[in-house]
Amino acid sequence: MVKERKIVCRCEDLTEEEIVHAIEEGYSDLESLKRYTGATTGACQGKGCLMHIVRILSQKTGKSPDEIGITTQRPPVNPVPLYILSEGDVE
Amino acid sequence: MKVGVVGAGVMGLSTAYFLSKSGIDVTVFEQKYLLYGASGRNSGGVSPMVDREELIPFALESLRLYDTLPSEVNFNFLFRKNGYIKLASDEGDAEKIREGVSVLRRFGISSKVISPEEVKEIIPDFNPDSAVLASYCREGGVIFPWPVVWGLARGCRENGVEIRTEARVEKIERNGSRFTVHVNGEKYEFDFVVNSAGAWSNEVSRMVGIEQNNMIIKEEVCVTESIKPYINPYIYDITSGLYVTQTARGEIIGGITGKSVDRIDTSSTVEFAVRYAKGVTRMIPKLKGLAMLRQWAGVYDEGRDGLPVVGFTEIDGFVQANGLGKHRGMMIAPALGKELAKLIERGENSAIKKFDPQRF
Repeated sequence: MVKERKIVCRCEDLTEEEIVHAIEEGYSDLESLKRYTGATTGACQGKGCLMHIVRILSQKTGKSPDEIGITTQRPPVNPVPLYILSEGDVE
Repeated sequence: MKVGVVGAGVMGLSTAYFLSKSGIDVTVFEQKYLLYGASGRNSGGVSPMVDREELIPFALESLRLYDTLPSEVNFNFLFRKNGYIKLASDEGDAEKIREGVSVLRRFGISSKVISPEEVKEIIPDFNPDSAVLASYCREGGVIFPWPVVWGLARGCRENGVEIRTEARVEKIERNGSRFTVHVNGEKYEFDFVVNSAGAWSNEVSRMVGIEQNNMIIKEEVCVTESIKPYINPYIYDITSGLYVTQTARGEIIGGITGKSVDRIDTSSTVEFAVRYAKGVTRMIPKLKGLAMLRQWAGVYDEGRDGLPVVGFTEIDGFVQANGLGKHRGMMIAPALGKELAKLIERGENSAIKKFDPQRF
């Protein structure tokens, strides 16, 4: 029988089960969960997965999405190739 | 004996770990979450090629601890030992590179001066015109700072240490021969308080009336998308301050050595992104097609004379464990924590006398 695998983070190839396991290991605040699993740190930077991660965390811990919050949003908004950045001006 | 540790970075947790190994009762307070501070924001370069001779024994002992601790605490630190390269891009720094190698040799550490062309043999896409001289040491490489912190935290908890997160210390009161530490409206009593708060150490010292004046340094770092293993050693240009390597996950991680700031600031700047992109694509031109995914900033502290501040203060029982400085927190913290634990247990430890907070 094929085991049901619900992918919640496509960039890092993480399943719902893996996120639940990490929460049970004690990585139960969003910033720690992000770092321990790698969720929200791949190419999408959370655009595709953050809400899934917040939902799972909310279901597991009973905290509301508001209490959980979101991860610190870091630039750039979308990936930018280094050759483009290197064209910028600096003092 | 009860010890309170303020700051759950690699320095605070190492100290807590070695104290708890001797059966001492330790509580660690972290103002936010594990990895919030500099121990969670650095690029993980570790090597005996540290720029102050006084620190070489601690870098060596820390490398040894990075080998033995993972099995002790049952956590893989993802230590990739592919060596460490220092580059100089002007003649003055080339002389520092030569001196650095002769100092390491005196310590019996194998390292060598190499030409930019020889760097290219180690990193095929390296641009030899981007440096005038280099040094290479096979010891060291890149450690992943996150599992180091998680692993030390796990080892601490196994030994009975309580680690309180989201626990910002608000006040420290002297109470006879003990301290009362106020956190989230609760009070804790300790015989010793260890200040391992990194960039926040000046603030913690002020709570007991000590004006510490460690330098606060802000540094910016970034990662690109992941690619297959490509850059093996850790590379640090001592002239420009630019450093780069590849993480265990395949991201190209790098940054530029920070500058002293007046206050704590972890904002990211476009200026950094541009300077880094210019520098790293000159050093390794093929990286130009890779996209930067994420940039961030961190803050850490350095003792006023460039050396760590570790040991007893004029206030009996208040202990400093901070000021570790540029390019070396991860390199020296485990060994410093171990020696500091000995100092607290025995009341004296000549091994860390050079870092005495009362030297200023």
